[in-house]
Amino acid sequence: MMDRSELYLKMYRDMLRVRKFEQALEREFKLGNVPGMLHTGIGQEATMVAVAHSLRTKDGLFPDHRSHGLLFLKGTPGERIMAELFGKATGVCSGKGGSLHSADKSVNNFGDNAVEGSFMVTALGVALGWQMQGSDALAAVMLGDGTAGEGAWHESLNLAAAWKLPVLYCCVNNGYAISTPVGKSHATGDLYKFAAAYDMPSVQVDGNDLMAVYEVTQKAVEHIRAGKGPYFIEYITWRWQGLFMGEFRDKEEVRYWKEVHEPIKLADEDMLQKGIATIELLKQIENEVQEEIESWVTFAKQSPDPDPAKATGNVYVGWEVETR
Amino acid sequence: MSKMSMVQALNNALDIMMAENEKVYCLGEDIGWMGGDFGVTRGLFDKYGPERIRDTPLSESAIIGAAVGSAMVGMRPVAEIMFADFMGVCYDQLVNNAAKVHYMFDGQYKAPIVVRTACGGGFGGGPHHSQMIEGWFMNVPGLVIVAPSTPEDAKGLLIASIEDDNPILFLEHKALYSKKGEVPEGKYVTPLRKARVARQGSDVTIVADSWLVHKSLAAAEVLAGEGISTEVIDLRTLRPWDHETVLDSVRKTGRAVVVSESPGTGGLSADVSAVIAEQAFGDLKVAVKRVTALDTPIPFSVILEKIILPSEEDIIRAIQQIYKQS
Ligand SMILES: Cc1ncc(C[n+]2csc(CCOP(=O)(O)OP(=O)(O)O)c2C)c(N)n1
Ligand SMILES: [Mg+2]
Repeated sequence: MMDRSELYLKMYRDMLRVRKFEQALEREFKLGNVPGMLHTGIGQEATMVAVAHSLRTKDGLFPDHRSHGLLFLKGTPGERIMAELFGKATGVCSGKGGSLHSADKSVNNFGDNAVEGSFMVTALGVALGWQMQGSDALAAVMLGDGTAGEGAWHESLNLAAAWKLPVLYCCVNNGYAISTPVGKSHATGDLYKFAAAYDMPSVQVDGNDLMAVYEVTQKAVEHIRAGKGPYFIEYITWRWQGLFMGEFRDKEEVRYWKEVHEPIKLADEDMLQKGIATIELLKQIENEVQEEIESWVTFAKQSPDPDPAKATGNVYVGWEVETR
Repeated sequence: MSKMSMVQALNNALDIMMAENEKVYCLGEDIGWMGGDFGVTRGLFDKYGPERIRDTPLSESAIIGAAVGSAMVGMRPVAEIMFADFMGVCYDQLVNNAAKVHYMFDGQYKAPIVVRTACGGGFGGGPHHSQMIEGWFMNVPGLVIVAPSTPEDAKGLLIASIEDDNPILFLEHKALYSKKGEVPEGKYVTPLRKARVARQGSDVTIVADSWLVHKSLAAAEVLAGEGISTEVIDLRTLRPWDHETVLDSVRKTGRAVVVSESPGTGGLSADVSAVIAEQAFGDLKVAVKRVTALDTPIPFSVILEKIILPSEEDIIRAIQQIYKQS
């Protein structure tokens, strides 16, 4: 067992890895090196890191569109994730999935599903399969506040509770679905209340307080591993990314979340105050992380494009489709 | 061999596969002690228990989602969607997930699910209990669509579908459930993607599926009396369908009538006709003819429904017509 300071430092480093990964992606996206669409998880690092540190390799992960960080925190080499987002042959899905569909079976990452909320019921199935096989693995699913309006969301909660399935619902409430405020789109802006109605334990937690988030998530996974069924956590956080690359929110709101209640800053201050880290150590970690992420970018850039044969491969298991 | 209804043949296939492989399980609405709306899982609940014959709430998305997720971790689910018309509720799960899991993650995962469902009209079921729905799924790469027309094929194709690693939509026509036929004992496989020549002939080829195979065979019998020799092909797998068997037959007869219980617009019949026209044009003595449902929803009144669905007489007329033209 890691002692608490060690764990804190490790999770802090992981938050920085997520932050710098996303910043590098934004930069490369603007340069035209990253195709398609880009949703970043900047501002939500504490939540992702706490979830990652609560899962074992055998546990399943359903990452959402802001979970790039979770993709490598789950255990896939970071350069293979970066390469996938660049659409390269060395990517974890050979460039066929991209930002919204990166899965890695070797670490039980089941991939994002860009039809928001849809994989809520897939997670149910993974949990059911494992339950039937007598495994104690659980399936963690990342869901944005916006997805709470989807039918599959509610079907999933209902059945997971009815069948006592090992599902960890990680609801990342960052206040908005694209532009629509959470309180205006759903019957309640407190989404954990939905889960309570489905008769499962559900809590709301400050998603930017790393150690608090970690404690709550630990409690949830213990509950699930004890065979007591699903658990729902609503993490209150905020995404830096506004509308794709632009800002639409109120100045004071932006300032609060970016400068005051910001997960990395909060952890910085807390660790310094508790004597867990020095300014020099934090600087050193930052430099090391920056170097690591840039090496992933270099790897992605230098990687070859996908083999053209991949375009028609793996449509069916065991059958080829016609080529031109 | 023993005489069985299609329901019994399907039940027998499930029983054989569940006994053989504990990863095989069924889920769906009222499939437990009740045995399903049409009795296909009857008796299996007592034999295999509530874990493996799993009753679900009315949650079609969750039924398919649970099937796909569990298949991704090694289970072999057989889901039942009570009526094919309800596929719209779980359409996304089939189209965007089951059919794409293998491709988008470049082969890491597969989704070997079978989704059984009761389809088809002719009994006054009305707009939401009568449709043939293969057309909704024809344009979805990654999906396989299977439709048996006899008890023997129903059993062999269901076993083949459960053993296959692709997501399979298994269409069971309600008009065929009680129809009896000889069924071999024990386990056997009827190959997927392979059409069956249901009747041999030399003058005209009918391409049909499911219930309409029987109407086509009846039409062929009548036409034989008029001196027209009709070959009837039962597609069995509707997507990807067996081009070779169809083209071989059309090249031999030089005449093709494509019969379908779905509307013609954008459907399987359109695809079959297009492929025949593209690949056997030089062998055709006359243009391909289609006999399909009219381009309408299915009405409740059986009198009105008869107007919409293709009949044996429609098939006979179509063949007489193209025979005269060539
Ligand atoms: C079924 C579906 N509807 C709409 C979209 C388009 N879309 C993508 S992200 C998004 C908002 C999601 O909001 P939320 O779940 O709160 O996630 P956030 O982006 O805030 O992290 C929408 C509407 C989609 N991808 N899928
Ligand atoms: Mg949101």
